[in-house]
Amino acid sequence: MINPYFWINLFVDGAIVSAISFFIVSYLLPKTIKSLTSKGDTVPDVHKPNRQYIPRPAGPTLLVGIVTAEIILYFLTLNTKVIAILFTTIIAFAIGFIDDKRVMPGWFKPVALVASAAPIIFFSAHGSHLNLIFGDAFIPLLYIPLVLVIIPVAGNTINSIDVLNGVASGFVAITMVPLLLSVAIFGSSEVFLSALPLFFGTIALYRYHKFPSKIFPGDSGTLLIGSMYGAIAIAGNSELIAVIALLPAVMNSFLFLASVKRIVEHRQVKSRPTLLMDDFRLMASKDKNAPITLLRLILAEGPLSEKDICREIFKLAVFSSFLSLISIVIQYSFLSGILPK
Amino acid sequence: MKLLGLVEFITVMWLMILTATAFLIIFVAPIDSIVPKMTSNNDRWIISIIQASVTMAIIVILVLGLNKMKKVYLQKRIRL
Repeated sequence: MINPYFWINLFVDGAIVSAISFFIVSYLLPKTIKSLTSKGDTVPDVHKPNRQYIPRPAGPTLLVGIVTAEIILYFLTLNTKVIAILFTTIIAFAIGFIDDKRVMPGWFKPVALVASAAPIIFFSAHGSHLNLIFGDAFIPLLYIPLVLVIIPVAGNTINSIDVLNGVASGFVAITMVPLLLSVAIFGSSEVFLSALPLFFGTIALYRYHKFPSKIFPGDSGTLLIGSMYGAIAIAGNSELIAVIALLPAVMNSFLFLASVKRIVEHRQVKSRPTLLMDDFRLMASKDKNAPITLLRLILAEGPLSEKDICREIFKLAVFSSFLSLISIVIQYSFLSGILPK
Repeated sequence: MKLLGLVEFITVMWLMILTATAFLIIFVAPIDSIVPKMTSNNDRWIISIIQASVTMAIIVILVLGLNKMKKVYLQKRIRL
């Protein structure tokens, strides 16, 4: 039976946390841009004429918006999964912030991010059944190592796609749509509500991060976004749906690792996968030693401007989100008994 | 269409994931129901280790398959 109070509560709580995250990030970002610029915390935007200097990182501002919304959500729901997602996000942010301030070796982020998975295990935010599209598997013991893998992979996947203006924030905003739907169907209302601050915070960030960027998220921003995405997928029983939605970014990481054959920072790679032309369009490198990336494959068809490349990446995000939505329909059909397991 | 090759690549990756999950559901997940008399903690560990080993093997096959696909794709697109 449909309980109208449940839906009213869900709508009101959802509106509150979404608005808090969106408006705090939107309000604070212009101030952050001014403050970082005046302090000289800027980095060159290498794809622009005269290598304009852009303030970085936006991670702390995004964190303030998301954490405020999540704390309020916790007092509204008293659900420990919200706390687990919150702590995972904060730890991932701290790791990224260290990387923003100091040049750390390539292994630092993947290894340190294992620690950010700890709150998920400590608060038992994970389930014991893993949804596998055509059914589910009871894996109470296997789930813990899986959690320790998912969070670092999700964090680094989003971090590695942050190559052009607005790509990381825009990509996550698009791929959050199937994740939100999946969490609503296969997870719980509390985890669904806890995902809304990430969705609206990322949209608010995108307004300043899109081409031409006024601020960069930095490692603190991208690791925060990626790890929170992974934590929501775990707590909302939507791990595979999330992987499918993130396929272009997963493909980017896979191609990079398969061609470089070790975990390194992009800045440590000697041969660049793309080259900047005189007219500030980008072209794919012809160097056989250059790493293979999603960007290089997009440019294999011919040079493009930064804005056009962003648009192409967003088209791929829409496509993978569509595949993710098909997967949700298949999974729902099997788990609800419409189709026999 | 510029992105057709990448769309094909992503679609094949998705189909590979669906195939691997179908295999896990049909063959790996039911292992604990095949041996219902195993109820002690040790037995649960043994079943979990078997399931983990098979899952790891499938992931390795998936990665090798992706690597092969990547090589074919790159030869076609970038001619490396």
